[in-house]
Amino acid sequence: MSDPLVTFRNVQKRFGDFVAVRDMTLDIQPGEFLAIMGSSGCGKTTTLRMLAGLEQPTRGEIRIAGRLMNDVKPHDRDTPLVWQSLALFPFLTARENVEFGLKMRGVDKAERKRRALEWLDRMHIGEFADRSVDTLSGGQKQRVALARSLVMEPQMLLLDEPLSALDANLVIRMQGVLTQLQKELGITFVYVTHSQSEAFAMADRVVIMSQGDIAQIGTPKDIYRAPANRFVAEFVGRNNILTGTVKEASSETTRLATPAGTFMVETPETEPQTGTKRSFVVSADLVSLSLEEPTAANRVHAKVISEEFIGSVVTLFLESGDGQEFKVQMQERQLMNYDLHAGSQVWLSWETENAHMLDGD
Amino acid sequence: MTGNRALNIVLGLYVLLIFIFVFAPIVFSLVFSLNSQRFPTIPLGEFSTEWYEKILADPDIWRAALNSLIVSGCSAVLGTILGFATAYSDFRYSFRFKGPYLALILLPPTIPLIIMALAMLAWLSRLGLSGQLWSIIIAHSVLTAPFAMAIIRLRLQQMDPDLEAAAWNLGGSEWQAMRHVILPFCAPAIVSALCLTAAVSFDEFAVAWFVSGLNKTVPVAILEIVQGNIDPQVNAIGTFVFLTSMTLVILAQVFFISRQIRKTS
Amino acid sequence: MTKRLDLYALTWRLPIILWQLVFFVGPVLFMVAISFFVVRNYRMQPAFDFVNWEKMLGRGYVWDSYWYTLFIASLSAAIAMLIAFPAAYALAFRASENLRRWAIFLLIIPFFTSYLVRTFSWYVILAETGVLNALLGYVGLGPYTMLNTHFGTVVGYLTLTLPLAVILQTVTMANIDRTLIEAARNLGCKPLATIWRVVIPLSKTGLIIAALFCFILSFGDFIAPFYLGGSQEPTLPILILDTTKSGQQWPRAAVVAIMMMLTLFAIAFTAIALAYRKPKGAR
Repeated sequence: MSDPLVTFRNVQKRFGDFVAVRDMTLDIQPGEFLAIMGSSGCGKTTTLRMLAGLEQPTRGEIRIAGRLMNDVKPHDRDTPLVWQSLALFPFLTARENVEFGLKMRGVDKAERKRRALEWLDRMHIGEFADRSVDTLSGGQKQRVALARSLVMEPQMLLLDEPLSALDANLVIRMQGVLTQLQKELGITFVYVTHSQSEAFAMADRVVIMSQGDIAQIGTPKDIYRAPANRFVAEFVGRNNILTGTVKEASSETTRLATPAGTFMVETPETEPQTGTKRSFVVSADLVSLSLEEPTAANRVHAKVISEEFIGSVVTLFLESGDGQEFKVQMQERQLMNYDLHAGSQVWLSWETENAHMLDGD
Repeated sequence: MTGNRALNIVLGLYVLLIFIFVFAPIVFSLVFSLNSQRFPTIPLGEFSTEWYEKILADPDIWRAALNSLIVSGCSAVLGTILGFATAYSDFRYSFRFKGPYLALILLPPTIPLIIMALAMLAWLSRLGLSGQLWSIIIAHSVLTAPFAMAIIRLRLQQMDPDLEAAAWNLGGSEWQAMRHVILPFCAPAIVSALCLTAAVSFDEFAVAWFVSGLNKTVPVAILEIVQGNIDPQVNAIGTFVFLTSMTLVILAQVFFISRQIRKTS
Repeated sequence: MTKRLDLYALTWRLPIILWQLVFFVGPVLFMVAISFFVVRNYRMQPAFDFVNWEKMLGRGYVWDSYWYTLFIASLSAAIAMLIAFPAAYALAFRASENLRRWAIFLLIIPFFTSYLVRTFSWYVILAETGVLNALLGYVGLGPYTMLNTHFGTVVGYLTLTLPLAVILQTVTMANIDRTLIEAARNLGCKPLATIWRVVIPLSKTGLIIAALFCFILSFGDFIAPFYLGGSQEPTLPILILDTTKSGQQWPRAAVVAIMMMLTLFAIAFTAIALAYRKPKGAR
């Protein structure tokens, strides 16, 4: 692997007594699409603002391409940011907005205009070049904001929840535009969002933050299938989390006794101690449902409580005899094979390899 | 609901009455300036431009007008600079003693003008600055700055706070961001503040009277004329004064206040 | 956060502080200082002497003037508030949004036009043979003496304060949550009782502030009592004017000015405390 483009080493950021980022160590590789995800106040935007130089770290080091950046002023960096509010200059036209950064860098007028128009064309909004940005639609403004940052030809683009103001259809379109752009340009995107679907749809790697700490770093698949801890498992949602006592652990599998029954779980890298309390997750879409008792090692008898449709995907909410809740996700047409209603008794089962043990209880 | 309608009519007439009270002196001043009577009353005398001819031929009035122009122009520029800097500091920074800092600029209008006049007279003559046009300009800058501050602060309130940071992010230094983002964004408010502070300075007479020495401004000239006797010249001067003030206020309105009202509604 | 000299921030802050210290705080403090200076041979000399305070506070006419100014300014503030209320009520509750905006804009105009000229205009209107008496004559009334009376003074004060009172009251009442008024009506509260028991308590803060402004403006004005009231009984501002302009007695004028400022502070402080006091029983 090549040298990282960005390194955070034990970075802390405090605002008075409030710790926004606690002790962050993170590498960002050149050319990767990294999403930083978390709920509001988790420190994700502060992290991004530190990269742009809009906040100085209280402690620790931030390096970009090897250069220590802690005290470098925002305008001496090459880290254009696409703002949540877009922050387009309302008194300028679309083209003048795109030219702004070049003007600040002292690029001459003709060259500025040429490059701005080139980027506006590339974003398919060339025809609006001389319109005031106030008159543009949400999607068009978004494209102006992207062009304004990318015309600087940066090696890294920062994006702070850029799609949060758009309606659902436009978000999907812009996700396509962004991933396409990132591939074509081959530069690093650091994308801050609270939206799991945006992060998982676009990013190569996802950083999940919670209360100023990194909860997990990994590919979307890692995080989805193998959440590191209870926070991530709950944050990602659609997970069944069961807690119990370790009865027996081998290098392959661990047997865990929970109130809902005894289940086999894949043993993590460090073997759990017998007698300790541990939790594991099974993703809702990896739980099978049957009317007859299955032969699988992990099975539980449960009662249907309710169902929820989102498009063609349906989530069933169930409860086992002891009160443990379960979620099962499947396609609607699969569900039609069963004749279910609230109160129906069914069997749930899953493969041991799909049961993933969490760190801590 | 006829009772309600009757009440609305009564209240409407009442509001009209208030407006008559407020605008009667303005209207009568205009009417009497074109009236031949030495002591104007109803029925009106003949139409006459005598008073206008008189003041236009009076070199003292011309000198006062020139003085007023210089004073209100310079005070407006100074007051607006003071107001802008305060509004921007308040918008951009939080710092210790910000309350006293803001009080320092916002308090002057709450002190009666006659007291400010006495204090300015005593202090400026102590500093050797009294009796010149500059003395009035300095005093007026202090008196008008809060108006400019209020207008510009309101405008900054409407600005996306990320806008300035966006300029830095795109490679602009703090001064460049000021020049290319903050100033253009505030431009309508700045013009509006210039007009309003000029209008305030143009009409201020107490402080100007005390510290001006021999350099009379228009309101001071009026004050000295009316001290003596009834002279309808004052109505003619008054008309010019009103026209000037109104032009400034309406310009301010066009540039900013109307925009402000539309935005907040 | 790193503590370093931020030249940019200081550029926007320091010059303003210095300017205001020199040309606002300076004059006010110096005025306090000269109240202890002495005047010899028509020249003011630095000293620390209570002679001016003794002279001014020991004189009956200063106190007469003091109480008269307090009285006439309070009276005129009260009158302004009372006259303004029905108009503000109408503008706040009966007028359309648009009409209200226009009314407020029109009422702002007088603040930026010459008070001096307006006062002179009143002088002509209120005179013995003036416009108002001529009009009253047509219906067989008058003539009345209106100039050089308390009435004249109050008319002058109202020229200054009435537009402000209407604006502040209107804005205050327009901001009241309409559903509270509807709720009161719905619970059987009669219209007048609604005003007294709901509208006024809800707009208490704004009303007190409006009254305070009316008082401050009247209290400090010397034009109305001088030209329209004929300075029969000189108000404190006229006292300052006379002492400064004719007597060259700046230290004594400063004493009066300080008396005025202290009075204003006390009244403003009380009014603001009243305005923001929570009603009884509120947590």
